[in-house]
Amino acid sequence: MHSVHTLNVSQTDPEMSAVGALPSGARDVLPIEAAELRAVEDALRGTFSRYGYREVRTPVIEFAHHLERAESGGLDRAYRLFDESGRVLVLRPDMTIPVARVIATRFVDHPGPIRVAYTGPSFRAPQPGTPVASEVRNAGAELVGADGPEADAEIVLVLWEALRAAGLSEARIGIGDVSVTAAVLEGLRVPDQIRERLSRAAEARDFVAWRTEAAQFVCPKPQAELLAGLPAMRGHAEVLSRISDLVPSAGAACARMTRLLELLTQEGLHDAVLVDLGILRDWKYYSGLVIEAYASGAALPVAQGGRYDGLASRFGISRPAVGFSIELEPLHRAITQGSTSRDFAFGIVVVGGLDEQLALSARIRAAGITVIGLVAGDARGEALAEAEGWRFVGVPDSGGLRILDRVDGTSFVSARPEEDLSSRR
Amino acid sequence: MPLGALYPDAISLLELAGVDVSPLRDGSRKLIFTAPDGTVFITTRPSDVPTYVEAGSADIGIVGRDVINERHPDVYELLDLQFGACRMAYATKDGVDPTPEIIARLGVVRVATKYPAVAEAHFLATGRQVELVKVNGSVELGPLVGLADGIVDLVATGRTLRENGLVEREHIFDSSARLIANRVSHKLRAEEIDALTARLAQAVAAESR
Repeated sequence: MHSVHTLNVSQTDPEMSAVGALPSGARDVLPIEAAELRAVEDALRGTFSRYGYREVRTPVIEFAHHLERAESGGLDRAYRLFDESGRVLVLRPDMTIPVARVIATRFVDHPGPIRVAYTGPSFRAPQPGTPVASEVRNAGAELVGADGPEADAEIVLVLWEALRAAGLSEARIGIGDVSVTAAVLEGLRVPDQIRERLSRAAEARDFVAWRTEAAQFVCPKPQAELLAGLPAMRGHAEVLSRISDLVPSAGAACARMTRLLELLTQEGLHDAVLVDLGILRDWKYYSGLVIEAYASGAALPVAQGGRYDGLASRFGISRPAVGFSIELEPLHRAITQGSTSRDFAFGIVVVGGLDEQLALSARIRAAGITVIGLVAGDARGEALAEAEGWRFVGVPDSGGLRILDRVDGTSFVSARPEEDLSSRR
Repeated sequence: MPLGALYPDAISLLELAGVDVSPLRDGSRKLIFTAPDGTVFITTRPSDVPTYVEAGSADIGIVGRDVINERHPDVYELLDLQFGACRMAYATKDGVDPTPEIIARLGVVRVATKYPAVAEAHFLATGRQVELVKVNGSVELGPLVGLADGIVDLVATGRTLRENGLVEREHIFDSSARLIANRVSHKLRAEEIDALTARLAQAVAAESR
């Protein structure tokens, strides 16, 4: 099947061919990818639902000032528009904050804990020169009103099982905890000024700058070494015991994380998780656990999340919350990487299916098999099956169909195609 | 692997850290080399190194801080490898620095550079307007032929500036080679990357002694 293709360049006038261009960061999703993305999304939703996470949907447009209340600077790259009375609206730039708003405002009388899940697109203007989409499809889950390591463990477990259900074979979950880092800085009495600069270095993932800033702070050698290497510390429980030995006041935060690791080990996730104190995203937003999921074949984490106990209070109700958000496109890419051939889709192109073979086509569909109809005598049956990946082509023959099976190239005449096709599944 | 000025030192430091770099020494014009242990070396111009690492085409990379500051790639910066030391600087023609006068009379200084983002950030942070002229080589020409009032460029010894009658006026930041890692590789291959980082840190310490 190796041949040099000459692409059909449309010869229409230049104005028409420019119709194929889209706004920066936008793209179309074609049938094969759409079907695979749908399957990934269904698998994720199935896992969420088995843990009792019920779906909520939020509007694509929100008031800018509502979202800004939750995260200053969170609207940096949001698309803005105006409503009929001039108020500023945004296309939601992420899903977590709208979902937090829903929980704070619509579940007021819920006894808790609340489990909700969501899937949907969010929008951010791409930065020039980076291959980032402006429309990002996310699927996520939030556990609200439970603040122990047990709740953290459930969220990590749901994330892990959702990724597995979607078909990801090689994955790892990185677990950090901003409260451990904060407790170390507090326990060593690192001044605010240095902390601010450490925080900036951590957010830029710049360990060189972190070490330079940490060296400005004078303390006994073991503690100084701990501070300098803090974001590079990773492994398992031993990381936490080293910290609580050197900085006793960080003991409570370490104990909590150790308990989380115990629970995850009981669930069989010991090898899947990696304690990594270098996962230090936005300290003002997260308050404890921070998680990232990595898949081979995706250049960025396929999921991010954590605990943000302060978020709901910005909408008026104080409730602890932990959750994650999976990005569908990179997950799909990681799952399907390396696959070059695709399976034939189980369906039959029936020549005459649009007119002379209506009853026969109906019988095949009733057996749960896809039928693609063509007008009688149409010569494009095989070309259509090739273009769309359908496995069978049927042409009327002796009261039934002569069926070509494109998997092995054989053909046969069938009087009862609905049965003969089913037996080939 | 960054081709050019950093290349020989990068190879030596990796060798000192126990990495088999023999394939890189065969002098061929290939772009990709595979060592007997399976390590694949990708060679490219320095400014492209973060691009490959950010996209996950390479797990780790060696690149100057100057490129990182210009590009701000979404990668982990793990280690200062300390070779390739130089500084980013603003320079103008010999004599009295014309910049304050230009700012006062014209309100904007024209600067030729290969580092537009770095230059813009520097002048913004110091409260001056700047008009950037992006050039791809021999930046020093700019002020000499009236293309620009000054240049922002990397300075190692200062010899090129001197020979072209330019004087360093403002220090912007110090640069040296850094070890960077892709965000996902840094976690999926955590053990290997941590081990290599530790060996490189030892090699850097041994070099500086």
